[in-house]
Amino acid sequence: MTRPAVRNAISVAVSAVVLLPIYWMLATSLKSNKEITQDATLYPHLPTFENYVHLFSRKQFDAYLINSLAITSASVAIALVAGTLGAYAIARFRLVWGLERKIGLSLLTLRIVPPVVILVPVYLLMLSLRLLDTWLGLIIIYTALNITFCVWMMESFIREIPVDLEEAAMVDGNTRLTAFLRITLPLAVPGLVATAIFAVIATFNEFMFALVLTATPNAMTMPRGTATLIGRIDTDWASMSAAGVIGAFPIVVFALIVQRHLVRGLTLGAVK
Amino acid sequence: MSVLARFGANTQPRRTRQQGEGLDLVLPYLLLAPAVLFAFAVLVYPVWDALRASTMLFRYGKPVQGVGFDNYVRLWSDPQFLNALWVTVSFVALAVAFETVFGLALALFCAGEFRGVRILRGILIVPMVITPVVVAIVFRLIYASDAGMLTVVAQSLGGSPVEILGHPTRAFLGLVALDVWEWTPLEFLILLAGVQSLPVEPFEAARVDGASPWRVLIDHTLPMLRPVLAIAIVLRTIDAFGTFDQVFVLTRGGPGEATKLLSIYGYDTAFKFQDTGYAAALFVTMGVLILALALAAVRIMRGMNPT
Repeated sequence: MTRPAVRNAISVAVSAVVLLPIYWMLATSLKSNKEITQDATLYPHLPTFENYVHLFSRKQFDAYLINSLAITSASVAIALVAGTLGAYAIARFRLVWGLERKIGLSLLTLRIVPPVVILVPVYLLMLSLRLLDTWLGLIIIYTALNITFCVWMMESFIREIPVDLEEAAMVDGNTRLTAFLRITLPLAVPGLVATAIFAVIATFNEFMFALVLTATPNAMTMPRGTATLIGRIDTDWASMSAAGVIGAFPIVVFALIVQRHLVRGLTLGAVK
Repeated sequence: MSVLARFGANTQPRRTRQQGEGLDLVLPYLLLAPAVLFAFAVLVYPVWDALRASTMLFRYGKPVQGVGFDNYVRLWSDPQFLNALWVTVSFVALAVAFETVFGLALALFCAGEFRGVRILRGILIVPMVITPVVVAIVFRLIYASDAGMLTVVAQSLGGSPVEILGHPTRAFLGLVALDVWEWTPLEFLILLAGVQSLPVEPFEAARVDGASPWRVLIDHTLPMLRPVLAIAIVLRTIDAFGTFDQVFVLTRGGPGEATKLLSIYGYDTAFKFQDTGYAAALFVTMGVLILALALAAVRIMRGMNPT
């Protein structure tokens, strides 16, 4: 409908609005503080990696990164397994008192309640369990948050897989469990991938619980460490921008690699 | 994403004919156990704990005291709470309105699959996957009055420094702009999928009849997109209501209380002022508001879409 020239102009304008802010953070991170505040240049005239070196040598960003990777992968893995099994039970069985519906609904409700509601009680819980400032504390709360998400995502994926396939496998001598493992699970892999991607992004980026439950580089995650640093430096724009770049780098690279699954998973559920 | 579509929907499991015996009878309970136990221990117990704490008064150096619904009553005469509620509601309304309009415009623009669409889509994914804390950094670097992008650009054009975060109204609008930048892509992706799943015939018929593109949009596209639009709006509204990270890093609620959302006010109440019971009442109220909103939305959507 629109002419190509207009179309291109709009595309360029939209891309600029999205990318310029990110460009600015990248450019700032490659400048010295003097260049940032006194020269106010539009691009780095004397690019330096000093700001980045500083983050790793003096600000323990390597520890934050390791904490984030460990906590994210552990909680997403546990939640995927538990969530998929639960989703299978909800999608395929009728339980006493219609439990499967009730459980499904309560997990959905928990999903809608904003996590900030349980921030204080979770803090008190971790305090009494002596799990403040540990990997395990964060892994537990992230796993729980991810489980509610995994159950409803996987439930809808499993519902789409015909029951007949499983029944055929059971006629051929499989038990219910092996039929699930051999037939249904492989067919649910695209759904698992989409679910895992969302869970990884949400978990890696989580800040609020990390803020309250961790305090030292023992367990501080990337967003937590980044926020702490910039809370202290206030107007050290060079360090702040480098911290921002490092803080977002792993997850943006991850998202761009899995882009296709991301879009598919996102839109699949919404439009059905 | 169909969370809301399924919330309260009457979905029966498709039961297999063979119900089995022995292990197969307890199997579903075993399968559900880990997820349910985990979720209930780590999420439901704290919700209950929050409800309990919300009826108590915690004062340093004094024993904890049950005060019934006093905390809830106090909320509605607390000017700071009412301010936070107002700031939150106006933030959500403004941000979601802009996101929906921009998202819809972009989705319609990209619907006709041209060569750049995939690149554009790839670019648009970036803001919504960037860590929210880092998004706040990005915008601090834009708004900074000494070395921010706006100031530098204004100065290179001969203007004077731009002050955003020190000024109440501008800081608030700056926060809205951040949210619009970050989350328009989500609305865009959802609506794009909606636009692409529309049937072709009505549009061809309208074109044959000589309808203007504007009339086609009003008469055909928007009515058919209504369910998807509703889902996109509700999802964003629920999420935006709980916004915390970005404000925490961008303004911490300031200047004054111009950007103090409910989540930030509640956090301060709990962790800065240690007024645990009052904070619990605030958070419970917030959760109830959101759940009510979600339920109302489900009602409306089911009325619109009787399938």
